[in-house]
Amino acid sequence: MKPMLSTDLNAPDTTVEKAKIEVKNLNFYYGQSKALKDINLSLPERSVTAFIGPSGCGKSTLLRVLNRIYELYPKQTAEGQVLLDGKNILDRSQDLNLLRTKIGMVFQKPTPFPMSIYENIAFGVRLYEKISKAEMDNRVESALKRAALWSEVKDKLNASGLSLSGGQQQRLCIARTVAVKPEVILLDEPASALDPLSTAKIEELIDELQADYTIVIVTHNMQQAARVSRQTAFMYLGELVEFDRTEKIFTSPREKRTQDYITGRFG
Amino acid sequence: MTAVSEAATSSAMRTREATVRRFAVTDMVFRAATRASAILVLVLLGGVAISLIAGSWEALSKFGFSFLTTESWNPVTENFGALAPIYGTIVTSAIAILIAVPIGIGIAVFLTELCPRPLRRPIGIAVELLAGIPSIIYGIWGLFVFAPFLQTTVQPFIISLFHGIPGLSSLFAGPPYGIGLLTSSLILAIMVLPFITSITKDVFDTVPAVLKESAYGIGCTTWEVTRRVTIPYTRVGIMGGVMLGLGRALGETMAVTFVIGNAHRISASLFAPGTTISATIANEFTEADGNLYTSSLVSLGLILFIITFIILALARYMLLRIDSRTGA
Repeated sequence: MKPMLSTDLNAPDTTVEKAKIEVKNLNFYYGQSKALKDINLSLPERSVTAFIGPSGCGKSTLLRVLNRIYELYPKQTAEGQVLLDGKNILDRSQDLNLLRTKIGMVFQKPTPFPMSIYENIAFGVRLYEKISKAEMDNRVESALKRAALWSEVKDKLNASGLSLSGGQQQRLCIARTVAVKPEVILLDEPASALDPLSTAKIEELIDELQADYTIVIVTHNMQQAARVSRQTAFMYLGELVEFDRTEKIFTSPREKRTQDYITGRFG
Repeated sequence: MTAVSEAATSSAMRTREATVRRFAVTDMVFRAATRASAILVLVLLGGVAISLIAGSWEALSKFGFSFLTTESWNPVTENFGALAPIYGTIVTSAIAILIAVPIGIGIAVFLTELCPRPLRRPIGIAVELLAGIPSIIYGIWGLFVFAPFLQTTVQPFIISLFHGIPGLSSLFAGPPYGIGLLTSSLILAIMVLPFITSITKDVFDTVPAVLKESAYGIGCTTWEVTRRVTIPYTRVGIMGGVMLGLGRALGETMAVTFVIGNAHRISASLFAPGTTISATIANEFTEADGNLYTSSLVSLGLILFIITFIILALARYMLLRIDSRTGA
């Protein structure tokens, strides 16, 4: 590709928008082995970004750096910068609990806490806010409505979160994440353990949530990435191969490796 | 050609059938052996229960229900009552559990969540070594080292601290003997600590990492994750550890016999000497002359058997209720 063209067409349109998160020269290590190599990308505010790539390419690792959840484990280290609204969150002085209230995360498997549906949501809210019972009721209701779960659970808020179906549990986890009013939501293959109907609901939900939140989703499912995201990052062997508008990645990728992957030639 | 191959097939079939028959026999033997092992447990349990009931018959038929409610234990007049040992057993075990559970869970939380990796194994092993110390050693240590220490330092301090406060002053009333209910409770707490700790630690390790991550992911601190996620998730297992510890505490004989003072009375003060069921049996069996005396001791054994059984049943019932409430 010619450099001239790349400035016109290939430059991600993300550059014109305000970046919520900027990753700069990020390297990540599991012990000695390097899992992320010099990653640079910038995630625009209030839109959905998808990370795709074959297993072990580092997309989940990158996601786990964004809220520093990797620090729960020894020997995992990140170098470089991750700027959230211009402030480096990898800085030692960053308070982890505060960071994680700003950057919520939903995992591959639904992880309801061992408590009631109501408490699953109220728990996280109560950690950082002192609000009355009535306000909490409202908060729980709006979070459940947000996650399109309210109509299914409104009569059994005191039932255990574990009594719900897998798809409902996952929406409960999203509701729980939304309830603490984060700015960014990280989704680590949120639909991979769900049936198609639940997956469709989750995708609809993601679409609605991007009006208010910056969303990052890791997915194995390329159709899903194409459906829900505005921009897509293709990663391979710990490198960021290509990052662009989603339709561009899926219709005319710049890199041969991207093309090979999305056409199913490897991965 | 076909005949040959048919012969070959049929001989192969025959070998196979023989093998199948052999399998059937070993299968049957295996099934019978496992069933017999399972039944053996029931038979042993039944045998123990029957011999306890038979042995205690004389005392129970003489004293009736008042055996359970009488405090006096007088070999001379042959008037026996089990209230003091029952009280001592329950109080010492309860206090031991009260002390050991928070400490045990604390150690488990530290080992699984907070401990620097190189320290994990040494501390874990040290805790488990506590379980390996024979109870006689706890006994002599308790009598010669721990009790005098309590007598000269801790007990006078507590007595003067709570002096004049209603309730507490009678709970911790002097004189400081060193030996007594509280000393036994403390020794028992040390003895059951490793059981509670190691089981709690093991069940903490079963909490899925992703569940903890999602709790940390909404901004929880380690305390909140432990309090609201890890412990509720593992409460069945923790309860199991506590019950195992409680069972041990209820039945512990040697160490308690050394430090409890072996006095058949019920005092309000935890510093006062008392006795437990197992301590009484161990102390007095050799000197029990007369059938009624022996039978009374066997009755104590029966009561301990029943107490343990009730506590285990209660624990099961509690777990059942917790399970149905959380719908897990």
